[in-house]
Amino acid sequence: MLLASLKEVEFGYNDKPSLHNATIEVRSSEFVAVTGPNGASKTTLLKLMLGLVKPWKGKAYLAPKREDGRKLTVGYVPQQIAAFNGGFPSNVHEFVLSGCWNRGSWLRRITADDRALAEKSLRQVGMWQLRERRIGELSGGQKQRICIARALAQRPDLLVMDEPTTGMDEESRKGFYELMRHMVEIHGMSIVMVTHGLEECRPYLDRIIELERKGEGGWKCCTTTLCNEHSEPVL
Amino acid sequence: MLHYDFMQRAFGAGALIAIVASVLGVYLMLRRQALMADMLSHVSLAGVAAGALLGLSPTVSGFLTAIVGAVAVEYVRRFYKTYSEMSIAIIMVGGLSTAVVLMSLNKETSKSFTSYLFGSVVAVDKAQLVLMLCVTVVAALFFFFLRRPLYQMTFDEETAKVSGLPTGLISMLFSVVTGMIVAAAMPIVGVLLVSSLIILPAALAIRLTSRFSAALLLAVVIGLTGVFSGLTASYELSTPPGGTIALVLLFLLAVGVVVQKLVRFIRAKTKHSAAEDTEMHSYGPIPRLSDDTHTH
Repeated sequence: MLLASLKEVEFGYNDKPSLHNATIEVRSSEFVAVTGPNGASKTTLLKLMLGLVKPWKGKAYLAPKREDGRKLTVGYVPQQIAAFNGGFPSNVHEFVLSGCWNRGSWLRRITADDRALAEKSLRQVGMWQLRERRIGELSGGQKQRICIARALAQRPDLLVMDEPTTGMDEESRKGFYELMRHMVEIHGMSIVMVTHGLEECRPYLDRIIELERKGEGGWKCCTTTLCNEHSEPVL
Repeated sequence: MLHYDFMQRAFGAGALIAIVASVLGVYLMLRRQALMADMLSHVSLAGVAAGALLGLSPTVSGFLTAIVGAVAVEYVRRFYKTYSEMSIAIIMVGGLSTAVVLMSLNKETSKSFTSYLFGSVVAVDKAQLVLMLCVTVVAALFFFFLRRPLYQMTFDEETAKVSGLPTGLISMLFSVVTGMIVAAAMPIVGVLLVSSLIILPAALAIRLTSRFSAALLLAVVIGLTGVFSGLTASYELSTPPGGTIALVLLFLLAVGVVVQKLVRFIRAKTKHSAAEDTEMHSYGPIPRLSDDTHTH
C-alpha cells in the first residue's frame, strides 16, 4: 500500500528553488534511507512528505487511512540537537509514555499495555536504567534515543526520522539499524530515515533515495532499490 | 482583615487567578512566550482606555481587547515563525501606544487608570469576581481536557502536528485563554505586574521537579502562597497589592533557587554515592537484538 509520495514536486526558500522535480514513494513495510550532501534539502523532503510545508508545484500525498480503514499513524523524530526543549520538566519515562497518548483519544486512561510498551521501547533503545532522569540532563545521544523510544511507543505505521543516529556510538548504531529492521519485518512499520552513514546501514535497507545536484534548479531525487535478502527476520 | 468584604473578594479573586495563571505560566515559559502576558496586559490597557472614553465598561472592553490581542499575536507569530518574540514586540507597541493616546484624550479618568496600572484590592467588585470565576472555570477545563496535546505541543509543535493533533486550533485557543486570564488578573496585580503572577511561580516550579504534572501543581502552590502572603502584607503595610505580590513571588523564587543549589551541593558532598555513579554508567549502547529478550 502507498503510504506517502511526492510527485514532480518543486520547492525552495525565499524564491530560490531547492528541490526540483522530486518524485518518491513510500510503501508499507519498507525501510528507506534518504541521503545526500549537506544542504541537499533532505529535511525539506521529509517535511514535504509529512505535510509540514506545502510544495510550490507538484503533489504531496500522505495516506489518511491504513488498508484496514483505520487512521494512519505517523511518528516523527526531528533533528533533535536544535529542537530539543532542554528545560522541559519531564523525566525520561513520562516523556516516552507521552508517545502512547496518540494511540487513541486524548482523554483515555493510560493502560498497563501503554506502560508495558513504553518500558519495552525504553529497553529497546537501552535507556530503561535512566528512566527517572530529567530529560534536560541527558547527553545528545541519549536525547536522540529517548525521542526514538517515544516514536516507537506510538507504534506508528510510518516512522520518519531525521538523522536519528547523530551522537550514537558505532555499537548503538548497529543495534539501532537492527531494531528498525525488526520493526519493519515483525511489526510491518514503514521507516524513512535521513542518514549520512549509508554504507553502515545499507545491509538493513530496502531502498535508497539519493539527492543529486540538478544545476541551478535545485536537487533531484534518484531512487535505488536494493536487492537485499530480508526474507529471514533478524531475530 | 478577612471581616472586610473587599478583602474577602480580593482573597477569593486572588486564589482563582493564582491557580490558572500559574498553570498558564508553565506553558508560556516552555513555549518561550514568557513576555506574552506582559504584552497582553498592555493591549488590554488600550481596551480599558477605549472603554472609559466611549462610556463602556472598562472591564469588559479590556477583557475583549486582550482576547483580540491574543488572536492577533498568534497570527503574527505564524508569519514570523523563526522570531516568534517579534510578534510580541509588534503587538505590545501597538497596544501601549494606543493606550497612551486614548488615555491622554480622557483626562477625567486618569486617576482610575492608576489602579489598572498597579492593581488595587478595592478595585475588585462583585462583577469582576464573577468574571474571574468564569475565566477560572473555562481555563481549568481547557487545561484539564487538553493537558496531553498541550504537553506534546509545548515540547515540539512539529512532532505534535505530524502525530495528528490540530496544533493550529489548539494554539489559537491557548492564546484566547491567555488573553482571558491576563485580563481577569489585571484588577488585582495591575497591568505592569500581571506577568509576575504568571511567570514567577512557573519559573521556580520547573526548576524544582522533573515531572510535568508535579511542575503544574507546584506552580499553583507557589502562586497561591505568593498571592495570599502578598495580599496580607499589602493590607498590613498599606502597599499596592500588585507590587507586594510580585515582591513576595520574587523572594520565593530567590529562596527556592538558593535552597535548590544548597541541597544539590550538600548531596554532592555527602552522598557522592557509588549508587549514583552506577546508575549513570550502567546504561550501555542500544542492545543488539540477539542479546535482548524484550524486543518481542
